[in-house]
Amino acid sequence: MKVRDLQHAVLPRSSAEEQSRQGAVVALRRFLNRHVRPRNVAVFDTEAAPAFAAAHGRQPQSPTEIQQAFLMSPSYRLWSATNRAAQEMIWVSVGEPIYRDLDRMTEAARDLAATPGKLGSLALDPTYDPSPEVAGVDIHLQPGGYAMDRGDNDIVAGALYELGGNVFSFGQGIGRGDSKAGVVLRLLDEHFGGVRPKRILDIGCSAGAASAAYAANDPEAEVHAIDIGAGMLRYAHARAESLGVGVHFHQMDASALTFEDDSFDLVVSHNLMHEIGAEKRRAMLREARRVVRPGGIVIHQDIAIRGLPTLVQQVERDWDTHFNGEAHWNTYQNADLVADMTAAGFTEAEIVEHDLPAIHGANRWYAISATKPA
Amino acid sequence: MTTQVEALSALVATARGARPQSLASREAEEVLNITLAVLVELAVANDRIDRVERLVAEVSGRSVEDLRDIRYDGEVALERQAATDALLTRALRIMLDPRAQAGG
Repeated sequence: MKVRDLQHAVLPRSSAEEQSRQGAVVALRRFLNRHVRPRNVAVFDTEAAPAFAAAHGRQPQSPTEIQQAFLMSPSYRLWSATNRAAQEMIWVSVGEPIYRDLDRMTEAARDLAATPGKLGSLALDPTYDPSPEVAGVDIHLQPGGYAMDRGDNDIVAGALYELGGNVFSFGQGIGRGDSKAGVVLRLLDEHFGGVRPKRILDIGCSAGAASAAYAANDPEAEVHAIDIGAGMLRYAHARAESLGVGVHFHQMDASALTFEDDSFDLVVSHNLMHEIGAEKRRAMLREARRVVRPGGIVIHQDIAIRGLPTLVQQVERDWDTHFNGEAHWNTYQNADLVADMTAAGFTEAEIVEHDLPAIHGANRWYAISATKPA
Repeated sequence: MTTQVEALSALVATARGARPQSLASREAEEVLNITLAVLVELAVANDRIDRVERLVAEVSGRSVEDLRDIRYDGEVALERQAATDALLTRALRIMLDPRAQAGG
């Protein structure tokens, strides 16, 4: 199922030069991820640990000391500074065409939202104050953050998320044909007997890529999607309408859903758990279980950074916490999600953790799923 | 009509939070950022040149490979060498600066 690179009316019309710039940032990040970052763990042994030992008379032990040691390594520091710069350049490369073409994009979004007989809907909550633990941080350095809302009709946060997400993902080695929703649909086929859910909830939908993919996969399904950001949701709504799929978008906190108990066949979240703290994550998992119907399925998909075998590898992977605005990266990396799902009301027998190959490319995804007893 | 500079300024103005530094020197880290941005712009310029080469190939009926293999000697080669020397002199001017480092 195609998700990335789909053309729609709310995308900026990037010039050839702007596309070259985005391509160059993808290439820079691909170079760093393929050729430089893989050396970090070895660099720990050759540069970081010896430098720490020379300064302290002993080897680094704790995660904090390992982090200190890494920052004593010139090779690590150069990679880290370059990786941070490359991440910032993602946003420059996509932000320029977005702000340059914003008037046209805003008008297109407004027209799509006002189209009579449109397929989906948009319900913003002007009384909702987006959760500061997400809204207060420029997560992965997206300027203004997930919940940036510059007033009526603002769609910048969603546009940045879609375009920046693509530049990030391609530089990460994630294939153009990959789709997180596709991974979940394949899991439904392979692990859940090919069930076809008719009422789907996508929690933390951001710019609506997965939500639109579920609706495209089964036009008969009723797809609802929530997020904290009005700018994300306006964009997601217009994008879905432009793609000709119906999704009902709601501004809502994942930890306090307003849907009734037992009201969905499938509840999913994509890459949400690593963006929220432990308390909100547990509340989100509880709410997901509450709103899924008996016999229904809950699937929380996220990045595969859990279960790294050594402390050095874990600290290396935790770079995003310190340098990429990913405040909850480490919390997610080390969370006992089975315990959280159990606390949410599932039994251990109902819970399965999955290590899933991407639909396209060499990447892998993590997911934890459960079926609510009928 | 939003200009490119206005678009970039609007983006830059929305960034929040402190900027953690990796290198020992803030100046070195900032120069690294500028250098990387210039590297990206070089890729952009190369793409532009490539587009022109392909267009010229199409118009002239010669292959792109032929066009890229054109070499000049004599006057033209000397002119190009002089241009490269000037470029390097501009870029590396600091290495030729006769002034001593001022005291702190």
